[in-house]
Amino acid sequence: MTPVLEARNVAKRFGGVVALRGVSFDLAAGEVHALCGENGAGKSTLIKLLGGVHPHGSYEGSIHVNGVEAAFRSTRDAEDAGIGVIHQELSLFPDMTIAENLLLGDLPCRRGLVDWIAVQRRASELLTSVGIALDPATRVGDLGIGQQQLVEITKALSRKPRILVLDEPTAALSQHEIDVLLTLVRGLKAQGVACVYISHKLNEVFALADRITVLRDGAAQVTVRAAESDANAIIAQMVGRRIEDFYPRRKSAPAGEVLTVRGLNVARATNKPIYLREIEFKVRAGEVLGIGGLMGAGRTELLLHLMGLWGRRLTGSVELDNKPVPQGGVRAAMEAGLAIVTEDRKRFGLVLGAGVAFNLTLSSLAELTRHGLIDASAEVRTASATATDLHIKMHTLESPVGTLSGGNQQKVVIGKALLTEPRVLLLDEPTRGIDVGAKLEVYELINRLTAAGKAIVLVSSELPELIGMSDRIIMMHEGRIGGSFERSQATREALLAAAMGRPSERAA
Amino acid sequence: MRNDHTREWSMLLALIAIWAFFALKEPVFLSARNLSLLSIELAVTATLALGMLLVLLPGQIDLSAGSGVGLTGAVAAVLVFWHGAPAPVALLVALVAAVIIWSLMGALVVIERVPAFIITLGGLLVFRGLHWLVIHNQTVPIVAGSDSNIYSQLTTWFLPAQAGYLLAAVVVATIVIISLRQRRSRQQLGLPVGDAEQWFMSLFISGQVVLLLVTVANGYRGVPMALVILAAIALLVHVVTIHTPFGRYLYAIGGNEDAAVVSGVPVRAVVIGAFALMGAIVALTGFMQTAYSGASTTTVGSLMELDAVAACVIGGTSLRGGRGTVIGVLFGAVMMTSLLNGMTLMAVSPEIKYIARGGVLALAVWLDLRISGQR
Repeated sequence: MTPVLEARNVAKRFGGVVALRGVSFDLAAGEVHALCGENGAGKSTLIKLLGGVHPHGSYEGSIHVNGVEAAFRSTRDAEDAGIGVIHQELSLFPDMTIAENLLLGDLPCRRGLVDWIAVQRRASELLTSVGIALDPATRVGDLGIGQQQLVEITKALSRKPRILVLDEPTAALSQHEIDVLLTLVRGLKAQGVACVYISHKLNEVFALADRITVLRDGAAQVTVRAAESDANAIIAQMVGRRIEDFYPRRKSAPAGEVLTVRGLNVARATNKPIYLREIEFKVRAGEVLGIGGLMGAGRTELLLHLMGLWGRRLTGSVELDNKPVPQGGVRAAMEAGLAIVTEDRKRFGLVLGAGVAFNLTLSSLAELTRHGLIDASAEVRTASATATDLHIKMHTLESPVGTLSGGNQQKVVIGKALLTEPRVLLLDEPTRGIDVGAKLEVYELINRLTAAGKAIVLVSSELPELIGMSDRIIMMHEGRIGGSFERSQATREALLAAAMGRPSERAA
Repeated sequence: MRNDHTREWSMLLALIAIWAFFALKEPVFLSARNLSLLSIELAVTATLALGMLLVLLPGQIDLSAGSGVGLTGAVAAVLVFWHGAPAPVALLVALVAAVIIWSLMGALVVIERVPAFIITLGGLLVFRGLHWLVIHNQTVPIVAGSDSNIYSQLTTWFLPAQAGYLLAAVVVATIVIISLRQRRSRQQLGLPVGDAEQWFMSLFISGQVVLLLVTVANGYRGVPMALVILAAIALLVHVVTIHTPFGRYLYAIGGNEDAAVVSGVPVRAVVIGAFALMGAIVALTGFMQTAYSGASTTTVGSLMELDAVAACVIGGTSLRGGRGTVIGVLFGAVMMTSLLNGMTLMAVSPEIKYIARGGVLALAVWLDLRISGQR
């Protein structure tokens, strides 16, 4: 039988970065086909090709619907071909009602005016057909995130797709909502709708999928029948290759403890549920502590909380050199000896329109100020020394940071943090989106800093980087520490199992 | 910011065209008397615009400035004329009150997160109402009879001719020394410096302009006190924005508030500080504008906030924050003041003046968006 959807040898590159290298994938009618792989393995890119986000011509290889080659120029074309995609990010309007959201592209009208009664009726019908008991007049913003996800799915189903693609649909759902969703997908399957199902949660994958394809480094490793495989085999395939010598970690002799975190319980805000639970760890001088975990595991929130930028602490303590780190905000945390390099450098790291020197000295102006005035030549000397030290390539110190390459922008953010002379440097995905050369420079810098006795906390989604650069690793899972590892015991299988909350694997 | 001078040159050409137009249509425009009046009007508009710059840089706005000008002038006038308070005391009371009120508005903006547009729009109406209440809808002189006090002297006192020339010499010498030192230290630090000839020419021209200004002013009654106040405020705001951490933080907040927070910039204190300074400048402008009118009336300060915003935007300040300079704002203020003064001389009717004012404001914002969009 002809597959309803087939990708033949598709390859996609973004500039110099190869996201997919010749992936073939097919989907039979009435089948649930799961895609598994680590962050960055190429799952989302593949979905975007199938959904028309990356138009025909921007990739190599071909996509076939019912055996006929498809040339999607837009998401609209993919929808017309019967492919409905539910992306990780919700695309609902929180201030509109469920009914308005469901029918937005196609509001029923009478004599040019919206027929609101028909809107309500059709929305009710849609919700009933999917089996969701919600009032269509409810404002979407008033729904929980799980219910919003169900509305999003209803919206995709309202176009009667024959192929449904779900990209991590349960990431934000409670167990009850997950059960509703799984039942829904099974019902669709019974009606002959084919599904591509992406999830990190292997128990869901095995509960739903007929076949499983594992992607790694932009290539399809294997496609297996779910009934003939198990979770450990899939994890082994996801992890695959051994760690190369790409990571030049030079271990320095760790000295005494610098940062001590005990019994930390943090909520997003007052009266919100606890988000980070019982977090405990220590970092010694000259040591790199790696923190891994899946997206949404709470790694970024943990770093931001240490800097006084996120959440409300319910219990627990953070001590630097045996002195409590005050919770009064970033400035207080910096004075205590912490500094952070945030994940999203354009949003949280840089004033893009301002110059290199401006950005470098922004956190440490107090040291450059005499009698209330900034000492301009001291500032230039400081900035210039930092730029030379970190090999920041720029036209002049006054060039707008926005004109620098990603790697050099990242070095400016790191330089700014270093100029506050921290004892502990928190790095959140410091090598995301920068080229290989700049990555190596960041790794070299980490070695130099630890050799100079600084302590580093490195958050990374890339397991090889985590294993390669950390002296010790903790894996976070749903706001808790799912496992902690010495470098010698840290295998990719063990880390991934801990990240997925499979504590039985921890001892491995 | 520095390599593209298209904007600066086109603005300069536009200013010359405006001056040439008025000079041809109404030769009185270039008379010593009119230029002297023009410089007082400039001092009032530009001072307020410099305050507006401090608020616009971190991405805020103050629509209540014009009403505030009316209110602070009125409070001081009422204290002097109806309650017999000494002028310095009256001015000080109004100034302190303004600083407190503007700090509160800043706190509402940055702590309670009410948009500045709304807070200060409310302020515009509230202060206008308070202004009229304070003066009971009457005309309140700022000084009894034909006396003079420090309040009235703000716009009626002129520097003696010799003092004017001395001031010019001091100003030119200061500009030359600062510029020379800056150039040297940039060279020593290996930063790029402009062409030496161009640098000399620009210094020479600024020197000539200062001298010409004083000569023209001395041809009437001397350099107006108001212009000296403006010079002092301009110097102060320049130093604050360029040479202090506070000023650096204003640009950082306007450029990227999230990044400023993460970098440890005390965003709340800085924004409240900007509003507090704005309060002081509003009060000072209020005193000068009321003194220029001779009395507090219901119309003093009306629409001045828009002239101030227009001067900032014409001078290259971004309404989204993060971009703007004192020199640019002064230039924008010269442009706005020249237009208003010239139209008054030509006896343009008020309705046409409103339309022209609005047109210039809209045009300037549109240009700003065009130019910043190209970046």
